[in-house]
Amino acid sequence: MSSRRSSQSGVSRISDDQIIELVSKLRQLLPEIRNRRSDKVSASKVLQETCNYIRNLHKEVDDLSERLSQLLSTIDADSAEAAIIRSLIM
Amino acid sequence: MNHCVPDFEMDDDYSILSSSTLNRPRKSPVPEDEIMELLWQNGQLVMQSQNQRSFKKSPPSKHQDGDQSASKEIRPSHHHHQQQQTVTDNLFMQEDEMASWLHYPFNDANFDNDFCADILYPSAPCVTSIATTTASPPVRPIEQPVEPRHLPVPASASAVASSSRPPIPPVRRTELESSRIPNFAHFSRHKVRTEPSGPSNSKSVVRELTVVDSCDTPAVVPESRGFRAMPSISNTEGASGGNNNNACGTIAIGAAAVAASTHSAGVSIGAGASSRENLATCELTVTSSPGCSSASAEPAAPKVAAEDRKRKDREAAGDAECRSEDAEFESPNTKKQSRGSTSTKRSRAAEVHNLSERRRRDRINEKMRALQELIPRCNKSDKASMLDEAIEYLKSLQLQVQMMSMGCGMVPMMFPGVQQFMPPMGMGMGMGMGMGMGMGMGVDMGMSRPMMPFPNVLAGPSLPTAAAAAHLGPRFPMPAFHMPPPAPDPSRIQPNQPDAMLGSLGLQTPNQPWMSGFADPYQQYLGLHQMQLPLPQNQATGQPSSSKPSTSKDAENLENHPPGT
Repeated sequence: MSSRRSSQSGVSRISDDQIIELVSKLRQLLPEIRNRRSDKVSASKVLQETCNYIRNLHKEVDDLSERLSQLLSTIDADSAEAAIIRSLIM
Repeated sequence: MNHCVPDFEMDDDYSILSSSTLNRPRKSPVPEDEIMELLWQNGQLVMQSQNQRSFKKSPPSKHQDGDQSASKEIRPSHHHHQQQQTVTDNLFMQEDEMASWLHYPFNDANFDNDFCADILYPSAPCVTSIATTTASPPVRPIEQPVEPRHLPVPASASAVASSSRPPIPPVRRTELESSRIPNFAHFSRHKVRTEPSGPSNSKSVVRELTVVDSCDTPAVVPESRGFRAMPSISNTEGASGGNNNNACGTIAIGAAAVAASTHSAGVSIGAGASSRENLATCELTVTSSPGCSSASAEPAAPKVAAEDRKRKDREAAGDAECRSEDAEFESPNTKKQSRGSTSTKRSRAAEVHNLSERRRRDRINEKMRALQELIPRCNKSDKASMLDEAIEYLKSLQLQVQMMSMGCGMVPMMFPGVQQFMPPMGMGMGMGMGMGMGMGMGVDMGMSRPMMPFPNVLAGPSLPTAAAAAHLGPRFPMPAFHMPPPAPDPSRIQPNQPDAMLGSLGLQTPNQPWMSGFADPYQQYLGLHQMQLPLPQNQATGQPSSSKPSTSKDAENLENHPPGT
């Protein structure tokens, strides 16, 4: 079977290792998986978690942007803080 | 979100969910005001008034609230409002009931046909609109689907009905399903008829999806595609709503998805991500479905049924791998039994293995595609570079969130002294974030450095207690003017916008290795804070001076700074 596999996916074999390494790197970034035993997590799970995490971060960024804009409205627009906030919101 | 599962309304005397009972059309007229709903409780139909009788999980043989005349499944649509409330409760129960269903021995496959014939086609409340509404939210976050669900309750019912109608495919599938998981089939059918509540919407969506897909082949693949939407639905639902959502998602999945094995993986994964409980429920359905799907790949429906049972027993396994493994076990076993020859067994096993491997790969590819969509400006086609980009993007996103939260906390703490530093800081941050976000890998170099020191600095804000919050204020601008009193330093930092933050971070003092300790920066900050007032002037004047190329590495700044101090 291994021979078959290698014959079938000669090229992918090489990149498999890369992928494994990248997946592990990704895993380090994910807060949830990182705390668990990482040796048993599958690539698909990591990818799924990554997608979810990114979506969460997007949401968080939106929330924070909203908060910052609210804050922006409370302070005078010329202040340095306002500038900072604006830059944060981008 | 509990409305995933519509209430089952069955005649009062139905003790067990059986095809025969399901088949029976609801005859007894139900008073419009009061609709008795037959809920599935522990695989048992329980009579329940819409006003929400207490739900009791009763063993299959019990009828709850028995006496009312059988509620009519179709009627509920009229009273969906009431129903929704009860539906919610029902759904909860039904959640558990789903589990019991799974274990429920399914009965004749024919049942499904009749069932469908009676219920699906004749029932047709007019809910076409729902189909569209349900279709739209499938991938949407939770809140949205909830609305549509509630509104067009009757619509959903009709939509559901209509969705179920089109097809012969659905009937066909149900046949398949019924052979495998009759309960689900019935359930789904039933739902179509009865409940237009929210959950049914999702289910109708799912079913539509599955129906569409099933047209291609009864195999898993099409269903899995249909299911993809489902997982997102269920995932989102689960994430937002909690159990109810999960119940809906799971039930819907179970009902519609019989054959989708891959989806179960996605579903379970998603569910797991959203919440553990969802995962549990999802797994129930998932495990059964994978079994079915894999079985469907193989011939022999009866075997599938048996395998189903086995799978159900193995519900615990929630991972995709587990599922694929189960599938592998199942198929080879069945194959072996059927063939009885070792050689064939081996080849079959290999085949099965390949199948599962392919499935796994498909799953991974699908997830990679999803990831690629999330990442802005990702035009890489190969996996490795795409993963690289994903990693960078994720880091930058994390960074951005940290900065923003820091900013939020900092703003109230702004000190007048730091004002002058703010703009440059802000610019630097903005630049940094912009770079991190998506300027491309080329600029990544500049950003990657920052990454290192940043976490250190940013970690500070995350520590924060009330006392720390005070530090946040100075700290934020700190990077900008952190530089030690020497005037040129701050100015040096400013021009290097991308590195400004970093540089400042790193440039605590020429003498101190800024990376060394967190406490140091803090001390520095506190100390510097005193000096802030005079500093701004220095910096303001000194801005133009050394403008290091923004692309310079942090090391350069760091190195230059100490000597250059």
